[in-house]
Amino acid sequence: MPLFGLIDGNSFYCSAERAFAPELRGKPLIVLSNNDGCAIARTAEAKALGIKMGEPWHFIQKRLECRSVLWRSSNYAVYGDMSRRVYQVLADRVPQVEPYSIDEMFLDLAGIPDLRAFCRGLKHEVRQIAKIPTCIGIGPSKTIAKLANRIAKSRTELDGVCDLSDPADRTRLYADTPVGDVWGIGGRTNLKLEQAGVLTIADFLRLDARAARDLLTVTGARVQAELRGVSCLPLTLMPATRQGIAVTRTFGRPVEAWDDLREAIAAYTTRAAEKLRAEGLEVGHLTVFAHTNPHNGDPWYSSQRAARIEPTSDTIAMIGEAIRLLRAIWHPGFRYSKAGVMLNDLTPAARQAGLFLTRDPIKSAKAMAALDAVNTRYGRGTLRPASTGLTRAWGARQQNISPRYTTQIDEILMARAF
Amino acid sequence: MATYTGGNTTGFVSPASDSLEGSIDLAEVLDLRRPSRYPVRVAGDALAPRGILSGDILIADAATPPAHGRIAIVMIAGEVLVAQLAYRKAQWWLRSGTAHTAAIPIDGDAEIWAIITGLVRTKV
Repeated sequence: MPLFGLIDGNSFYCSAERAFAPELRGKPLIVLSNNDGCAIARTAEAKALGIKMGEPWHFIQKRLECRSVLWRSSNYAVYGDMSRRVYQVLADRVPQVEPYSIDEMFLDLAGIPDLRAFCRGLKHEVRQIAKIPTCIGIGPSKTIAKLANRIAKSRTELDGVCDLSDPADRTRLYADTPVGDVWGIGGRTNLKLEQAGVLTIADFLRLDARAARDLLTVTGARVQAELRGVSCLPLTLMPATRQGIAVTRTFGRPVEAWDDLREAIAAYTTRAAEKLRAEGLEVGHLTVFAHTNPHNGDPWYSSQRAARIEPTSDTIAMIGEAIRLLRAIWHPGFRYSKAGVMLNDLTPAARQAGLFLTRDPIKSAKAMAALDAVNTRYGRGTLRPASTGLTRAWGARQQNISPRYTTQIDEILMARAF
Repeated sequence: MATYTGGNTTGFVSPASDSLEGSIDLAEVLDLRRPSRYPVRVAGDALAPRGILSGDILIADAATPPAHGRIAIVMIAGEVLVAQLAYRKAQWWLRSGTAHTAAIPIDGDAEIWAIITGLVRTKV
């Protein structure tokens, strides 16, 4: 019988910041989204002050009780590397690990004796080595493991490990747990269930298969089975091949000038091309979009343009195509708040017949390999097309970003010799 | 750019072409890809008697258990310190590299963060 664990980092981004900064420990701390917009990670101390997930920073700043809150801009170079460490610690100790998101991993725990002690040991080692405090939920299906994880987090007396592999424990729990706590049953679905009088997980499991399908489509029956302890979602060890790559950003401040917008699109295309090459793919279809933000009183304008292109992964060629598309959608007088580039029709590189190629694929491949090598070694953006801009007026606001402690030699942790 | 590796000569066949091994990878020597390894830069010369100078890059390992006499990174009172560990009276202490500074107990929220396993000095 399969047995799953779900381990996730407690306020992962905040914990990654605290790993290197003892002055942030024991204090309310939040990490803000791109552009320092809103809170996307909160420590227990910050939650206790009533700071909500997604709450805008300019509201938090004005609240008297939040005067003491410490904050950081999001630093994904650090979070990504700490996530890699968590994964490696787990992969060394558990037969199979599925990295589900940057801060959550599913574990294959089948056949492990004295599970609770094992999980407590696992938690301890992740904390010691990857410096991230975690919680672990255990269950015979992913959905139950996820639910158990939620309970491990909310009930401190459990010491961060909750095992729901015993059906009797589940029956007791299901009777008074809201169905909205279940993985995959979100806002709208939850509302529909509520209207049908389905409030608890027990209520939900009493629905016959037909009613479950009517309320939740096909996933309804699957969620029911998973909650009953029948695993329907196996571990996924390889991420699915990409359907598309998108790089889109909200600007640090609205952008009006053509040059600024062009720079931004060139920079996003550069990043998209890096992702493309990292996966050994070429793009055959390119979309560019830009829009204004009507919520701050600006007139609404939104446009996108797409084109089929000769398959390539060459940054310079892709920028050329993207700028051509942008020119068709740009209109002066609008304050653009967001823009992006989307790549579709991805194919493995160098599989194309190449009969009518207009670019020299070998020359391009060499140039791009050199570009990627320099940027890997010296940091992203070290070498970049001049069209992506030097001043970057449109760039993200990151006024309080911590050093990239583990990925840049000039920014590593400093220790005072005592 | 053409790359000459020591083997791909144009005229005479290089006698080394079957024995090329590439340059030494220090990240591998220092085992930097292990999840427990963190680079840390030293600030200050208090550990000069132990041969650790300001600006040195220490290789800290978070999986190595603490032991009496080893150099450790310790997070204590909101500060990141590097110093020698001592175990006395059932308690870990941080012993200063300078004679006139008293040892400080590692208790409360203080954390022995990692043990130093290596050192890189880029300028000698």
